[in-house]
Amino acid sequence: MAVSPDVENRVEDASRVRSREIATRVLLAVSALLVLAVPFLNASPFFITLLTEALIFGIWAMSLDLLVGYTGLVSFGHAASFGFATYAAGIFAMNVSADFFLSTFVAILAAAAVAFFTGLVVTRLSGIAFAILTLCICQVLFQISVVWRSFTGGLDGLIGVPLPTLFGREVEPGEEFYLLTAVTLIVCYLLLRRVVESPFGKTLLAIRANEDRAAAIGIDVRRHKLVILILSWMTGGVAGTLFVFLKAGANPMTLYWIESGNILAITILGGIGTLFGPIIGAIGFIFIRDEVTTLYRAWQFSFGLAFVLAVLFMPSGIAGVAEKIWRRLWPARS
Amino acid sequence: MAGAFVVEGLHKSFGALHAVNDVSLDIEAGQVHSLIGPNGAGKTTLFNCITGFLRPDAGKVLLNGSDVTHLQSHKLVKSGIVRTFQITQVFGELSARENVELAARSREGLNFDLFRKASACREAREDAEEALEVVGLIEKAHLRPEELGHGDKRVLEVAIGLALNPEVLLLDEPTAGMSRTETERIARLVRQIADRTSVLLVEHDTEVVLSISDKITVMTQGRVIAQGPPEQVSQDPQVQDAYLGAVEVEGD
Repeated sequence: MAVSPDVENRVEDASRVRSREIATRVLLAVSALLVLAVPFLNASPFFITLLTEALIFGIWAMSLDLLVGYTGLVSFGHAASFGFATYAAGIFAMNVSADFFLSTFVAILAAAAVAFFTGLVVTRLSGIAFAILTLCICQVLFQISVVWRSFTGGLDGLIGVPLPTLFGREVEPGEEFYLLTAVTLIVCYLLLRRVVESPFGKTLLAIRANEDRAAAIGIDVRRHKLVILILSWMTGGVAGTLFVFLKAGANPMTLYWIESGNILAITILGGIGTLFGPIIGAIGFIFIRDEVTTLYRAWQFSFGLAFVLAVLFMPSGIAGVAEKIWRRLWPARS
Repeated sequence: MAGAFVVEGLHKSFGALHAVNDVSLDIEAGQVHSLIGPNGAGKTTLFNCITGFLRPDAGKVLLNGSDVTHLQSHKLVKSGIVRTFQITQVFGELSARENVELAARSREGLNFDLFRKASACREAREDAEEALEVVGLIEKAHLRPEELGHGDKRVLEVAIGLALNPEVLLLDEPTAGMSRTETERIARLVRQIADRTSVLLVEHDTEVVLSISDKITVMTQGRVIAQGPPEQVSQDPQVQDAYLGAVEVEGD
């Protein structure tokens, strides 16, 4: 069958695509090195702590991107994955061991368990119903954290979570903890990138596009939703663990619906379906929150404005715009 | 591998409406069986009942003798019953090749594989290429559905179906909205794939149906009013009355 010249023009030149891919990898590697180099660049302790929090939010936002961006499931209760893990890791660290790996493992396991039971119900749903039900489940966890005082400390939360230890050695707050966070972020990013590029990840795209069509090519839609929900919560659990060690405590407000809204806004602002975008979104959010506060107190206004502008003028988020520019720098079509 | 496919006394009503009323079909392995009837005759409802998108009120679906009536859609696909849709529903963001590869990976049971790159699944890639080759889309495999013409998009649906290696392929109006030449292309294709899968075809074009079918079932208002080989069905006075109407039947 003859292909019209018009069609042929649209073919991307394979070698150019390849060189763009290499360039993208170099860019990512340089970004990773830059993130790791921050403590050696004479940054202030305040800046380091702020950036640590931003990177933790970055991991958390990536975990939400798996649901919103890759599966088309808008969760309005994603604070649950994070908040629940802060309690699980915090209580474990205070009572059993502050070993970072063990605490993370416990928090991941706890998050996975809750995600599993949540998933049994919510995977039947999509769209608004999914959003509302995840919101409800998150509020239930919030209420439990407030009411069950003997276990969670009620409204005061957990206080006095020890410093994490790594191979039996305490991780100093500040630069050392920052490095631990940065390495964790990079590992999470690489693992999740693998997930979204795997056959499993591609079937998620099919589910996002059309659930009936996905079922008609033999995809078990419910089970896929359950697995991605669990993976997403596990990743959120990693972020929660880092957070409880950063703050040396847990607070029920991390389970409040406003946090679910924030992380959703961060993810969308950064650019869904990119993994990278939500990290940028998180850094932007934390810095607007903390830097703009010093100028005037209504920092939410600035973030809200940024969010509205982003939705209006760059629906694919910061990462979407960045990708467009990047593609223009490395054109693949002659 | 083409399979033998039987529908026995299938029934589905929505309130007082008997959308599918006691319908039975019998498709021998490798046959093309066409389902015709005016709009609202219950053809698509029957498809939905067979493929697990609707739950039939009564009746049985048998594939090679085993009961597959109440299996979920995705399990039916695994057992060998595959459908396409009346309205093209390919995945818009993926290229034609990726659309077919998705189906091929699904058939190979890789849907839950988290540990390798999708693009590195060689066998699925080859299967997808083979299916695209069969339907004649291999030259355009890199294009996204929106860049394909309407006819090519419908053909892509068939390729996706083939990549699932069905025993029975249910095609819901594959020629809807097609030009004459495109329709003939699909008709040839349907006949050609019948050596690897049995086909149940919903089709409006009577000329196509009469020329490529081994057997025809005519439905109106949820009921089967005639069933048999093309020569027999086209001579049936009830059919001429109810459906074919003024359409001239070849050899008449």
